[in-house]
Amino acid sequence: MKICVVVPAYNEELVIGNVVDDIKETFRGTKYFCEVVVVNDQSTDKTAENAQKATVINHLINQGAGGATSTGLRYAELHKANWVITLDGDGQHKASDALSCLEQAIRIDADLLIGSRLINKKGMSKVKILGNRGLTLITYLLFGINVTDSQSGLRIFSQKAIDILEWKSTGYDFCSEMLWRAKKANLNIAEHPIQAIYTDYSKSKGQSNWNAVNIVKSLVRRRIVEMFE
Amino acid sequence: MRYALLLLLTAPTVLMALLNIFTQYKMKRISKPRFVQQFMLWILISTLLLASFPVYNLVNDKPLLYSKGLSLLDILQTTAIVYLVYIINNFRRKIEQNERTIRDLHQEISISLSSRNGKS
Repeated sequence: MKICVVVPAYNEELVIGNVVDDIKETFRGTKYFCEVVVVNDQSTDKTAENAQKATVINHLINQGAGGATSTGLRYAELHKANWVITLDGDGQHKASDALSCLEQAIRIDADLLIGSRLINKKGMSKVKILGNRGLTLITYLLFGINVTDSQSGLRIFSQKAIDILEWKSTGYDFCSEMLWRAKKANLNIAEHPIQAIYTDYSKSKGQSNWNAVNIVKSLVRRRIVEMFE
Repeated sequence: MRYALLLLLTAPTVLMALLNIFTQYKMKRISKPRFVQQFMLWILISTLLLASFPVYNLVNDKPLLYSKGLSLLDILQTTAIVYLVYIINNFRRKIEQNERTIRDLHQEISISLSSRNGKS
C-alpha cells in the first residue's frame, strides 16, 4: 500500500530535517510503502536543502499553506498513492500519531480523517484552544460541519478524497473550506485524537489568533460568493 | 407605467443571467444543485421585479420605508444595481477561473521540475 506523507513547509530549516527523519523512522518496518514529500513554499532559508532525504517540490511562487497542500495532493494523485497524510512542517505533529490516524482511517474506512488536538488538549495554551474553538464554531455555523478541531494540519485522505477534493483558498482558511468540500462531496469525515507537541519554535511558527480574523473574513466571503456560482 | 419601465429595463439583464446559467448547466460546467440554486436566486430577483408594484405598496406601509412614488431615478438605480450584480458576478467568476488556471499551471510546473531534478 503506497502512502504519501505531504509536509507543506515555509522557512522550516531548523526542524524540517527532524520531521522527515521522524516520519521515515516511524514508517520503516511497517507494511506501508511511504514516500515523504516536502512542498517547499518558496522558503527563503535552507528548508529545501535540509529536507533532501524527502522528495522536495519547490514552489516557484509562495502559495500559502492551502496551495502547498494542494500541490502535495496533486503529486500523490499523479503517483497513484493509496492514502495521503498531511502534517505541519513545524514539527508539532508526531509521526506516530500520523501512523495511528492512518490505521484508524483504514479501519473505519474514512475518506478524510482529522487528527484532533482538541480531544486531548494537553500542552495546548488557553489562547490556542480559544482560537481553534472559535474557528471550529465558525466552520460549524457557516458550513454545518461538526468537528472538534477544524484547523488541524494532520489529516488523512483516502484515494477517493484525493481524486475528488479541490479547494479555492490558498491560505489557512483552506482547512475549513476543505471540510466543506468534503461534506458536499458526501465523503466520510472522521476524527482521531492526537497529541500536538508545543515547543517554543512551533509556538512561534503557529498562526496567531489575529490571523483567525482574516480566516473568518475569507470564509464568510467564500460562503457568500458560492451562492452566486 | 413606471413599474413597467423598471421591468423593461431590468428584463434583459435577468434574461441574460438565466441564459448564462442554462448554458453553463447544459455544458456541464455547473452541477445540478448549483444550477437550481442559481436559477432560484434569479427567479427570486425577477419575481421581486415583476411584483414591484405590490412590493412597493407593502413596504410603503412601514414608517421607516415610507417614501413617495417610484421616481425615474429609483428606476434607474434599481436597474443599475441588477445590472451591476450580473456584471460583477461574471467578472468574479472569470477571475476565479484564471486564478485556478494559474494555480494549476504553477502546481504542474513545480511537480514536473522536481521530478526532472530528481532524475538528473
